[in-house]
Amino acid sequence: MSTPTSTTSTTPDRSVSAELVAAIAAACDRIAPTWPLDQFIAVNPYWGWRSLPITAAAARLGALAGTQLTMPRAWFREEWRAGRLSADQLTSTAVELAEPALSAHALELLGEDLAAEQPPLRRMALISDLRDRGVGPVRGRTWTDLLVHQISQHCASHFDEWQASWAPDRSIGLFGTWRLDPSVTHGFSWSRGSAWARTHLESLPDSAAQAIATMLDDLAIEPAGHEAYLTALLASMNGWAAWCAYHGWQARLAESDEDGDFQIVELLAIRLAWEWLLVADMPEGAMEQDELNHWAASWMLLDESAEETVEEQRIDWLLQTALERTFQETITTRLAQASVSTTTPTVQAAFCIDVRSEVFRRALESTSATVQTRGFAGFFGLPIDYTPAGTALTRPQLPGLLAPALHVTDALSDDLAEERIDRLHDHERWEEFRHEPSSVFSFVESMGLIYGARLLKDSLRNRNASDNWEMEGLDRKHRAVRPRLGLVHDDPIAAAAIGHRVLTAMGVSHAFAPIVLLCGHGSMSTNNPHAAGLDCGACGGQTGEVNARVLADLLNAPAVRHEISILGIYIPESTWFVAALHETTTDTVELFDTDLAPPRHASMITELSATLHTAGQLARAERAAALGLASLVDDSSALEQSIRERTNDWSQVRPEWGLAGNAAFVVAPRWRTRHIDLKGRAFLHDYDWRLDTDLSVLTLIMTAPMVVTNWINLQYLASTVDNHRYGSGNKVLHNVVGGRIGVFEGNGGDLRIGLPMQSLHDGTTLMHRPLRLSVFIEAPTESIDTVIRASQVVRDLVDGQWLHLLCIDSDTGVARRRMPRGWEL
Amino acid sequence: MLIAIAPAWPLALSFTPAVSLAVAAVVVRRCSTPASIWRAARAATLVAAAASVGLAGARIVVGAEADALVRMDSVTAVMLCLVALVGWVVVRFSGAYLSGDPFEGRYAQRMLATLAAVSTVVVANNLALLIAAWGVTSLALHGLLTHFGDRPVAVAVAHKKFLLARCADVSMIAAAVVFWSTFDTLRIDEIGAAASASASLPLGAQIGIAFVAMAALLKSAQLPFHGWLIQVMEAPTPVSALLHAGVVNLGGFVLLRFAPVVDRSVPTRTMLVVVGVSTAVLASLVMSTRVSVKVALAWSTCAQVGFMLLQCGLGLWEMALLHLVAHSCYKAHAFLSAGATVQRTQIRRLAPHPESLGLRHIWLGAGAAIVATLTVGLGWQALPGTAHLSASVWVLLGVVALALVPLTEPVGHGRVTPSVAFALVVPVAYLALHEVAGRVVMHGADAPIGLLIFTAAGFIGLFVVQSACRTRPDNRVLRRARAWIYSGLFLDDFFTRVAFAASAPPPAHTHPLPLPLPRPSSLPVVAKHPVLSFASRSDAS
Repeated sequence: MSTPTSTTSTTPDRSVSAELVAAIAAACDRIAPTWPLDQFIAVNPYWGWRSLPITAAAARLGALAGTQLTMPRAWFREEWRAGRLSADQLTSTAVELAEPALSAHALELLGEDLAAEQPPLRRMALISDLRDRGVGPVRGRTWTDLLVHQISQHCASHFDEWQASWAPDRSIGLFGTWRLDPSVTHGFSWSRGSAWARTHLESLPDSAAQAIATMLDDLAIEPAGHEAYLTALLASMNGWAAWCAYHGWQARLAESDEDGDFQIVELLAIRLAWEWLLVADMPEGAMEQDELNHWAASWMLLDESAEETVEEQRIDWLLQTALERTFQETITTRLAQASVSTTTPTVQAAFCIDVRSEVFRRALESTSATVQTRGFAGFFGLPIDYTPAGTALTRPQLPGLLAPALHVTDALSDDLAEERIDRLHDHERWEEFRHEPSSVFSFVESMGLIYGARLLKDSLRNRNASDNWEMEGLDRKHRAVRPRLGLVHDDPIAAAAIGHRVLTAMGVSHAFAPIVLLCGHGSMSTNNPHAAGLDCGACGGQTGEVNARVLADLLNAPAVRHEISILGIYIPESTWFVAALHETTTDTVELFDTDLAPPRHASMITELSATLHTAGQLARAERAAALGLASLVDDSSALEQSIRERTNDWSQVRPEWGLAGNAAFVVAPRWRTRHIDLKGRAFLHDYDWRLDTDLSVLTLIMTAPMVVTNWINLQYLASTVDNHRYGSGNKVLHNVVGGRIGVFEGNGGDLRIGLPMQSLHDGTTLMHRPLRLSVFIEAPTESIDTVIRASQVVRDLVDGQWLHLLCIDSDTGVARRRMPRGWEL
Repeated sequence: MLIAIAPAWPLALSFTPAVSLAVAAVVVRRCSTPASIWRAARAATLVAAAASVGLAGARIVVGAEADALVRMDSVTAVMLCLVALVGWVVVRFSGAYLSGDPFEGRYAQRMLATLAAVSTVVVANNLALLIAAWGVTSLALHGLLTHFGDRPVAVAVAHKKFLLARCADVSMIAAAVVFWSTFDTLRIDEIGAAASASASLPLGAQIGIAFVAMAALLKSAQLPFHGWLIQVMEAPTPVSALLHAGVVNLGGFVLLRFAPVVDRSVPTRTMLVVVGVSTAVLASLVMSTRVSVKVALAWSTCAQVGFMLLQCGLGLWEMALLHLVAHSCYKAHAFLSAGATVQRTQIRRLAPHPESLGLRHIWLGAGAAIVATLTVGLGWQALPGTAHLSASVWVLLGVVALALVPLTEPVGHGRVTPSVAFALVVPVAYLALHEVAGRVVMHGADAPIGLLIFTAAGFIGLFVVQSACRTRPDNRVLRRARAWIYSGLFLDDFFTRVAFAASAPPPAHTHPLPLPLPRPSSLPVVAKHPVLSFASRSDAS
C-alpha cells in the first residue's frame, strides 16, 4: 500500500531560507485533509501529528490550537458515577502505565464533586487575540471572528465551482486575489484608512513564501519560533487549511509533478498577513513594543510549555486509558470460549469490515447455521474509479489512502448515452433558468406554485425507495445498467491476477460454498449534506455496489476463472458469486445481477433472499431502540415501514447512527468472536495467520484497513471531544458551501469539517463514547512485530498510542497487550 | 371607530386560525415531552389549515365582507391558505429536525406565536390591529432568530433586525395618525374607498401612504437595510423557511391592502419602483456571486421581494399577489431542501460542460425568446375573454423573454430539445396565471411612462451585465466589479457600523448551553495569557 508520504516542498526560492521552507512545510504537514461532501470519508484530524506520541501531540495541539484530545474531567466523573469505570481498573491501569501514584490522585478527583477541576488549557495568543482585548472592529464582534469570516468567504469564492454562476478571478492564486480583495481594505474601518491598507498589502512580495518571510521578519519572530507560530496560524483556520491539504493529498496520490501544497502555503500567507496588518494598524497605546517582543519570543517556548501540559494531562490519559481497558475486557474475557464451527457452509457471505456489518452478520448467523460470514474491506480490494455511463463524473471507489488504477463504467449503448447527455444538458439549462439573475423573477412567477405541491408531497410520509441520482437522465426502463470493468473481457489474464490477489487477501481460496455473497454497503437518507459519510468509507464515501458487482462479474467469468486456476486457486463450476448491497439504514440487502446466475443456483438465491430478509428483521429490532423506535420492536413490519419512512424524511437529522460507538478492530477468523455480542462496536476482518506464510496479508491488513479504522475511530473521537474544531456543529444550521466543498455552521465562519453533533449525540446522551481503537490480531507476536518494524506508519500509530494493539494467542485465546516494554498480559 | 365594535359572528370566525395557533402556543409550554409538544403544535396547524380552507370556501360562496376589524376577501382567503400551508409544513418539519434540542418547547411556542400573528395580519381590516399584529410577528420572530442565543452573530443580527422593525413600527404608527386625521377612520377598506373617491389624493393620504411604503421597505429587507435577512442563517433552517416564505413578504401584502391609495400617489409609486428595481437588480447580481446555498437563497429573496414591491409600484397588484404566493412556496421548499444541495450538484456534475458561449449564442437566444414571448402575448391578447394586457404587463413580458434565454440558446447539434419547447410553455403559463390572479385582485392604475422606462432599463441592464459575465469572464472591469458585488457594495457593513454605534447589540449569553457536547466556551481559551506567563518565566531566569 502506498500511503502518500509527506514530501512538501515549497518552490525553492533564493530569498526564502531553507530553514523557513522547512518550517512552512512542517506547519502545513500538521494539517490533515478533508474530502468534499460527496466523498465524505472519515479522516483522522490528528494525522499530521502521528510521528509524536499522542500525549505529546495533545500538549502541542492544546498550546497551538486550543483543543483537547480527551473529554472534560466532569464527563469521566459521570462515567465513574454510572459505574462504567472502577477503582480496581484505575489502579491496575496506573500500575501498568508505570504511574502507580497517579491512581490515588485520580480517585480523589473522581470522588469529590468540586475537585474534578480542569486545568485551564493555555492556547498561545495570536496577534488577533491580543487585539481582541481592546476595541473590536464592530461593536459586539471580535477581530478574530471577522477575519476568519473574511478569509473563509474569500476561500469559498476561490474554490467554489458549483454555487456561484459569476466566477471570480482565479488567475493570480488564492493569495494574489486576496491582496486585491476590497473586503479587506474596505470592509473594515482601518484606523489608518483603506488606502493605507491597500498600499501596505501591495508592498508585499507576490510569492506567498516570500511574503511569509517578509512578514515574519517584520513581526520579529525568531526562526526557532517559526514552525510553532505558523502551525498555530493554520490551526486557527483549520477548516480551509484541511481543504487546501486535500488538494495537496490528491496531487501526491496522482503523483503529479505539480506541487500540490501551494494552496495551503497561500492560505498561510493570508492568515499571517492579517496578523501583520493588525500590528501595523495598532491603535496608540494598545500594546507596548516590549509586550510585542515578549509575544514574538514566546513562540520559541512551545516545547517547554508542552512538557508542562503533558504533566498536567497525565491524569486525563490515565482516565481515558482505564475506560479503554474496561471496554477491552468485555472482549478479552470471552475470547477463550470460542469454538471452531464444523458445519459446511452453503453460503459464504463477505461483508465490509464496517461496524454496522457486525450487527447484521450476527443476525444472519443466528438465522441460518449454514451461512458463514466473513469480514473484508468493502471495496473488495479493487483499485477502481467509476463513471456512470455517458456522464462526465468520475469518482473514486476505494479508500482515500489509495489512487485508482482501473476504470469502471456502465454497459450502455452509444445512442442511449447520447440521449442521456442531451437530457442532462437540458437539466443544466433548466438549472440556469432557475438561478441566473435575470431569470429568477420570471421563473418564480411561472413555476413557483409547483413548489407548493412539492412542499405538500415532501412533507408527507413516503415509504417508496427513493430515486438514485446516479440514474438521472436515463429512462426508467434503461436503469438496470450493469457496471463493468473492461479488463474482464479484454484481458482475462490481468483480471485473473486481480481476482487471485483479492481471493487470497480475503482468505477464500479453497472450499468454496455454492454461493459466495459479496456484500457491499450503503446508506439511505434524504436532504442530508453528510449522506456520503454514512456510505462505505472503504469505497471513498460511496455505496459498495459497483465494487461488489464488478468483482462478482470478474469471478464469474469462465475465462478469468480459468486463468485464476492457473495461478493456483480453483473455483468449482458449482460456485457462483452474487453481488449484494447491505443498506445500513434499513438493514435490507439487495441482490444484483441474479438474472445472470445459472439455473441451478436460482432456488438457492431465493432461499438466501428469505434468510437475508429474516436477518434484516432481527438487525432492525436490535437497532430500533437507539433510533427511538423501541415501541415497534415487536412489530417487524411496522418497524420496517417506519425506518423506510425515515430514509425519505427530509427533516430527519439522524437517519442512522453510522459508525458511532466504534471502539475495536478484530483481525481473526470469525469463529473467534462469533459467540460474542459486539454491539456494533467492532470492525471485523477475517484473517488466518496459518495461510499467510510470507506475512503479505498481515502487512496489508495492518497498513491499510487498520489505518482506515484508525482514521474512522479518531474522526469520531475528535468530533466528540472538540466538536467546535474537528466536528461540524449543529446540523440545523448547516449551510452547504460551493455545492459540495463542505458546510458552514450558520452564516459563515470557518469551513466545518468532521461529524455533526447529531451524529454523535441524541439530545440526552452521547451515542459515541470516545475511546481509542483497540486492535485485536490473532497472529504470533513475532509476525506482528515484523510488520510493525517494516512500516513507519504502523510504528507511529502503535508506539505513539494512537491505538491499542492486542494479540490473541490462537491456541489459548488469551490476549496480550503491546506495551512500550513488549507484549504483556 | 377606533374602539372597535365586536365584529359580527361569521366574520369573527376569520380569527379561527390565529386563535387556534395562539392557544397552542400557550399549551406547548405545558407539555412535558417533545412528542407531546409537537403533537399539540401539529394539531394546531391542522386546525388552522382546515379553518383557512373553510374560510376560503365560504368566501367563494358569500362574497367579500368586511367590518371594523376583519376583512374577508379573495386576498385574505389566498393569504390564509398560504400561511396555513407554510405553517403546517414548517411545524411538521421542525418536529424531527429539532429533535434533541434542549429548547424545543420554547422554539415551538415562538413558532406558533409567529404564525398566529401572521394569521392576524392577513385578516385585519383595522390599521391599529394590523400594526399590533405586525409588531407581534416581529417580536415572536425575534425569539426564533435568537434561538441560539449563545451565538454572537445570531444575537447581533437579530438586534439589527429589531432596530429596523421598530423604525418600521414607528413609520406605521405615523401613517395611522395621518390617515386618522385625514379620513377619520382606521378601517383600511374605508381609507381605500375614500382615496378612490376623492378628486385628487389629499396631502395627508400622500404622506400616510409614503409612511406605509417606508415601513414595507424597511420590513422587506430592501437595500440598504437588507443585511439582517442575509445573515439570519444563524437560526434553524425551518425558521429561515418561515421568514423567507411568509414574514418578509408581509410588506407587499400591506401595500396590497392599500392598493387604491398607492395607485393614486405618484411619489410613493416612484419610491417603490426605484427601490424595488435597484434591489432586484443588485441583489440578484450579488446572489450570482455567493458561495453558500442559504446565503445565495437569502440574496435571492431580497431581490424577489424587490421585484414584488416594484410590481406594487407599477400597479400590477395581481402579479404582486401571484409573486408573493409563488415565491413563498418556492422559497420555503428551497430552504427546507437546502440539505439536498450536494445531491443536486452531483446531478449537475454528471453533465459534461457545454461549450462556452459566445455573444452570438446570446443574441440568437434572446431573439428567439423575444419572438416566442411576443407571439404568445399577441396570441393571448387575440383570444376572446382574456383581460387586456396593459403596458406594465408588456414590460413584465419583456422580463420573461430575457429570462428564457438560457432555454433558447442554441447548442451544438441543433436538435430541438425539451427545453426549447419549454420556452413556449413558460409565457403561456405566465399569462394564464396573470389571468387567474386578475380575477382575485384588480389591476391597478396605469403607471407613469417614466417608471416603465426605468424598470425596463434596469432589467435590460441586468441582462447585459449577466451576458457580459458569461461571454467575457476575463474582462478587467467586470472582475473588479465582481469583488465589490460579492461584498454587497459594503452597504450592510456601513449600515451596521452606523446602527450599532447608535445601539450596541446585547452580548451573547453563554448559558444555558444549547449544545450538549463540550464547547470551546467550556474550555477557556487564552485563559492564562502567554505573554504574561512568558514575562514571569523571563523574570525567573
